[in-house]
Amino acid sequence: MAKGFYTDTTVCIGCKACQAACHQWNELPALNDGVVELTGDSYDNTGRLSAVDWRHVRFIEQIPEDRGQEGFLKGSRWLMMSDVCKHCVQAGCLEVCPTGAIIRTEFDSVFIQQDVCNGCRACVPACPFGVVELGQDGKAHKCTLCYDRMQHGMEPACAQACPTDSIRFGDVSELMSLADQRVADLRAAGVPAYVYGKEEIVGGLNCFFLLVDEPEVYGLPSRPRLPSEHVPEGLALSGLTAAVVAVGSVVAFRKERMDGMGGEGEPVGSAPPPTSGPPAPGVVPGRDTVAFMQAIHGANEASRSRRPLRDAAPVTDACGGGGCGSTCGCHA
Amino acid sequence: MSAPGLAQALVQVASPSLGHAFPPHWGWYVVLYLFLGGLSAGTYFIASLLLFAGDARDREAVRLGYLASFPLLLVCFALLLLDLGVPLRFWHLLLASERVPAIVFKPWSPISLGSWILALFSVFSSAAFAWALVESGRLRWEPAARAAAWAASMPRPLLAWKAVGMLFSFGLTGYTGVLVSATTIPVWHNARLMGALFLASATSTSYALLMLLLLRRGGGRAGPTIAKLSRADTFSMLLELVLIVVLLLVLGRAARPLVSGGFGVLFWVGVVGLGLLWPLVLHRKGVVRWAEPRRELIAAVCVLVGGLLLRFVVVVSPQFPAVSLWAL
Repeated sequence: MAKGFYTDTTVCIGCKACQAACHQWNELPALNDGVVELTGDSYDNTGRLSAVDWRHVRFIEQIPEDRGQEGFLKGSRWLMMSDVCKHCVQAGCLEVCPTGAIIRTEFDSVFIQQDVCNGCRACVPACPFGVVELGQDGKAHKCTLCYDRMQHGMEPACAQACPTDSIRFGDVSELMSLADQRVADLRAAGVPAYVYGKEEIVGGLNCFFLLVDEPEVYGLPSRPRLPSEHVPEGLALSGLTAAVVAVGSVVAFRKERMDGMGGEGEPVGSAPPPTSGPPAPGVVPGRDTVAFMQAIHGANEASRSRRPLRDAAPVTDACGGGGCGSTCGCHA
Repeated sequence: MSAPGLAQALVQVASPSLGHAFPPHWGWYVVLYLFLGGLSAGTYFIASLLLFAGDARDREAVRLGYLASFPLLLVCFALLLLDLGVPLRFWHLLLASERVPAIVFKPWSPISLGSWILALFSVFSSAAFAWALVESGRLRWEPAARAAAWAASMPRPLLAWKAVGMLFSFGLTGYTGVLVSATTIPVWHNARLMGALFLASATSTSYALLMLLLLRRGGGRAGPTIAKLSRADTFSMLLELVLIVVLLLVLGRAARPLVSGGFGVLFWVGVVGLGLLWPLVLHRKGVVRWAEPRRELIAAVCVLVGGLLLRFVVVVSPQFPAVSLWAL
C-alpha cells in the first residue's frame, strides 16, 4: 500500500515545525554551515529544498500593486506551502540513477541508499521539482519519507509535528479521498482549490498538495517532464547519424578512386618502418596491418566480386615472409 | 556564483511550467570528458574505417588512430572518477554493490548505458592499442607479436571484432549527447539531436586530431591520407552544421542559454565560426593561398578548439544562463 503525504496548503500557518522536526529526526546539518543569509524575500531563510532541507515552507506574498488604496492590504493574500519530495509514481531520479542507489521501498516511497550512491549527480537535474541535491559528503540527499520511522510503524516526523494537520500522512488512496472531499468543500465556499499530484503529474505524486492558485505560483511545474522521455529518440537519431558518418567517411576515402583522379597508390608497404633499429625476432612492423587489410579486401572480393583495395599488392601472407621478392611489402 | 543565486538564475530562464531542475554542477571534468571521449571513440572508428575502406598508404593513420584512442580513454576514466562525489565507488556504476557480482544495467539511464559502453569499449580500444604498438614496432615482445599475427590471420572474425568495436565507439560518442537530454532542464531535455551532434563533432575533431598527428610525423608520405581525411572532415563538419541548424530550429526559444549572452558569443564565433566555417574554407583548395600543410594544420587546430567549445557551451551554459562574455 502506497504511503505518502497530503499537504493541505490552506491550513498551513508557516510555523516551520515540519522543517525543524525533519532536521531534528534526520540529524540534518544547518544550511550553509549555520551561517545565516537572509533571502530578503520573506520569513523564508532557507529558500528552497536542498541536501540539508528536506522540508521547506514556501511563503508566497500576493499583495496588489495599489496596496493601501482601498484599505490596508485589502485584496492581498499570503499563501504558505510546506514543500517536500513528491515520491513520484514515475520518479525521474529513480529512472536515471545508474547505480541502483535510488530504490522504491515497500511503502512505494523513493529512497536513496546512502551506502550505494556514488555521487554521479544524474538524479540532480533529472528531478523536475528541484528536490535532489548533492550533499557535502558527495552523495545525493532528499526526503526519505522517514523510512526508518515507517519501518517501526511511526509516521514521518514532519507530519507528526504539524500543529494544524496541514501535513497528513497515510495511505495515498485514503488521503486522496480526503483531499477530494476538502476540494469539494472549498469549491462550495468559492475557493478555487484543486489537488496537485493526480495521475497527469508524472503518473501521480505520492506526496500531493491541495493548492488554491496556479502551480507555478507555488514554484511547482504544471507540466513536469520525465528525464528519459527523449532518450530512445536521442539514441535512435545518434545511430542514424553514426550510419551517415560511416557511409560519408567511406565515400570520402574512396572519392579519389571513384573520380579516377587519384591514380595508383604506392605499392603496399613502401612506407619505411616508423621506428629505427632492428625488430625483435618474429616481429615485422607493419606486416600484420597490411596482411589484415588485404585479407579483408580479399574476403570482400570473394563475397561481393569487388576489389576495393585496387592499388594494393596481392595478399602478402601467402609469401611466407619473403618469397615474393619484396613486392608485397610485408617484409620491407 | 553562489548555489542559491545560481538556482534562482536558472529558474528565471527555465520554463517554469516544465520544471525547476537544479543544475548538476557539471564542470570542466565533464566538458573535457565529453571532448576527449569523443576523440577516443572517433580515432578508433576512423582507424577502423580506414582499415576497411582505405588502402595501404593509410596504414600510418590506422596505427596513429589506434595509438591515440586508448590513452585518451584512460584520461576519460580519470576525469570521470574525479567527477564522482565518492570516486572510490566508481564500480557501483557496473556492479550491484550489495550483491556482487550481480550487475547494474539500466539502458534507459544514459549514465548506466554509458558506463557499460565505456567499459566494453575499453576492451576494444586497448586491444587495438596493443596491436598498433606491435604493428609500429614500438612493442617488441614476441608473445604480443604472435597474438597480433594470430589475430591478423583470421580476417573475418577480426572484421566482426572491429565492427563491434566501432558500434561501441559510436555508442560512446552518441550517449554523451543523450546524457544531457536525460534531464529536465528545458534546453537539454528537448535536445533530441544532441547525441547526433556530439557524434558528428567527435568525428570531425577526430579527423582533425589524426591530421595533426600525421602532419607532425612529416606530411610528405601521408599526403594522400591527409587528403582523404580532409574530405571526410569536410563532410562531417557539413553534417555538424546541418545538425546545429536543425537542433536550434527544434529548440526554438529553449535554445536561448546556448545562443545568447556570453555563451552565445562563444557559440557563434567559437563553435560555428572558428570551429566549422573557417576550417571548411581552409579545406577548400584555392580559397586561402597558404601551403597545404599549413592550411590543414590551422584547420585541424580550429576544429579541435571548436569541438571543445561546443562541449563547454552545451554543458555549462544551461547551468549559468545569461552570463556575459567577460564573466566567463
